[in-house]
Amino acid sequence: MIRLLNIELYKLFRSPRTYITFGIAVVIMFIINLGLFTDGEELFGFLLQTISDYFYLEGEVINGYLIAYLSLNTLWVHIPILIIIVTAYIFSSEFEYGTIRVLLTQPISRSALLGSKIISMIVFIICFMFIIALFAVVPSVLIFGTGDTIVFIDGIQFILEESFIKRFLAAIGFAVISMIAFASMTMFLALVFRNTLTSILLSFGILILLTLLQTFVFGVFSSWQPFLFTYHTSKWQLFFMNDIPFSSILNSVYFLIVMSGVFIGLSFFRFNKMTISE
Amino acid sequence: MITVDNLSLQYNDQTILDQVSFTFVKGQIIGLLGPNGAGKSSVIKVLAGLVFPKSGTLTYNEVLLSSFSELRKYCGYLIESPSFYPYLSAEENLHLIKTINNADVKIDNLLLKVGLKNVKAKKVKHFSTGMKQRLAIAQALLRSPEILILDEPFNGLDPNGFQDLIALLKELNLQGTTIVVSSHLLNELEQFADAFVLMHQGKIALNLTRHELAASKKKVTFTFENELNMQASAMVKSNGGAIKDDNRVILRLHPNEITIIVKSFVDHSCAPINIETHTILQEKYFEIAK
Repeated sequence: MIRLLNIELYKLFRSPRTYITFGIAVVIMFIINLGLFTDGEELFGFLLQTISDYFYLEGEVINGYLIAYLSLNTLWVHIPILIIIVTAYIFSSEFEYGTIRVLLTQPISRSALLGSKIISMIVFIICFMFIIALFAVVPSVLIFGTGDTIVFIDGIQFILEESFIKRFLAAIGFAVISMIAFASMTMFLALVFRNTLTSILLSFGILILLTLLQTFVFGVFSSWQPFLFTYHTSKWQLFFMNDIPFSSILNSVYFLIVMSGVFIGLSFFRFNKMTISE
Repeated sequence: MITVDNLSLQYNDQTILDQVSFTFVKGQIIGLLGPNGAGKSSVIKVLAGLVFPKSGTLTYNEVLLSSFSELRKYCGYLIESPSFYPYLSAEENLHLIKTINNADVKIDNLLLKVGLKNVKAKKVKHFSTGMKQRLAIAQALLRSPEILILDEPFNGLDPNGFQDLIALLKELNLQGTTIVVSSHLLNELEQFADAFVLMHQGKIALNLTRHELAASKKKVTFTFENELNMQASAMVKSNGGAIKDDNRVILRLHPNEITIIVKSFVDHSCAPINIETHTILQEKYFEIAK
C-alpha cells in the first residue's frame, strides 16, 4: 500500500496539470489582492460610509484579513471547479492512457490501488488548500497589514484581529472536508464514465445546479436546503460569525463525511467489479 | 503448466468465450491465433484478471487457483496497445512498475535488451509506436516473470524490430520463460511457436503442437500452364487429389512426398508452374477467416 501510495504521489506531482492547478489558484488569489489594492476604497466606499454612520471606525477596515476572508469566497465555485478537474484527471486519465490495464495486471489488490489513489487525492486537496491559505493571507497582510475585520454574514460581524487567524485556519480545515466531498463525487463519476470530460461536465452540472437551488431559496426549495451538499460546503463562513455556531458546523461536517463515505464506498464497489474490456 | 477448463465469458448477455479448455505447457512458446473477434484478447484479459469469467477453472503447476487474477503473480503482460504515462520518461514509467512490485531488476539492462537505453530519459509522448511496443515488452519483463503473455506484440514494429523481438522471445524462452503470444500473423507465429491454439467465435478451433503440425499432411496446390494430360490426371486421382479449373491440382501430402509428386508430374510431361503449400493450421485459419 505504501509503495502504491508512493507511485500515486509521484505521478500526481510529476503531472504538469497539478502545477497548472496550483498556478491558477495563485493567480486567483493575486487577482483578488490586486483588485482590492487598486479599487478597494471604491468597492467598499458605499458600505463603509453606511457603517461609519452608525459606528466609530478606527484603523484600516480594508486590511489583509478582510482580503483573506474575501479570498475564501472562491470556495463557492472557483476552488471546487479546480478540485473537480484534477480529481477527474487522477481517475479517468488511467482509462484514457490505458495505464489502468498495466496497473491491474500487477499482483496488487484493486482496493489497495483505489485506496492509494484516494489518499493521493486527499494529499493533493490538502496541498491545494494550503496554497490557497498561504496566498490568501501572506500577500494581503504584507500589502494591507492586519487589523480587526468587518464581514457580512447574516448582518455585520466584527472579528477581532487576534482571533482572525484561528478562524481562518478553521475555515480552511472545514474547506478541506468540503473539497474531499466534491472530489469523492467526481471520483465516483470518473469511475462510472471512465472519461475525464464527461465526469468534469457532470460534476460541474451538479455543482452549478445545487448552488443555484441554494442561492434562490424560496417556497418549496427551502425545505430541501439541508439535503443539498453545497448548503453544507458553504458553512465555512460560520467561522467568521461573532458567536461561532459549532453545532451547525458539526452537523455539516457529519453530513459531508457521510456523503464522502457513500461516494468512496460506491467507488470501491464499482472499481472492484469493473471489467477492463476495451 | 497452465490448464484452463471450461472457460466461459459473457458481456451484456453476449457469449464471448464458450466452454474454452486448453493447456499451455511450461517452457514453450504458445501461439494464440485467430482472426479479429475470435476471442484471443478475451482469453488474455481473463488470464490477466481484467475481466471476470462466468465460469471456468485455472490450474497452475497442478495447483487449482482460487481465481484467474491469482495468475498475475507469475506473469508479465502486454495487453493490446502499449500504455504509459506520456508526461513521464521511459525510465520513469518502468520505475513506477518496478516500485509497485518491489522488483530486483536493473532498468538500464532491460532498456538495453529492448534497444531503448539511449532514449531512457525521453518522455514517452515523443515515442513512435514501435518504441512504445519495445518499452511495453520491457515493462512486461520487469518482474522476471515465469510466464510472458503478449497480446499482438508485433503491432507497429518495423522488420528489424520484428526480428529483434522474435530473437528476444527465443532468448527468454531458452532461459525458461513460458511465452504466450496472441497474434493474427499466422505465418510469423509458425516460425517460432512450439504450440498453436487457433480460436474462432469464442471456441477452440484447433489445438496442436509444432511436432503435430510438422507431421500432418499439407494442402498442396499445383498450378499448370495447360490442362492436365490423361496420365497426370490418373496419377492425381490415385493419390486422392482433386482437379480444379482443369489446370489446378489439390493434394494432401506429407512434406517429404512433395518432391516425389513433382517428379511424377515432370515424368508425365506436366511440370507445374506454381506450387502453393498450406499447413493444416493455415488451411483452418483461412477457412474460418473467410
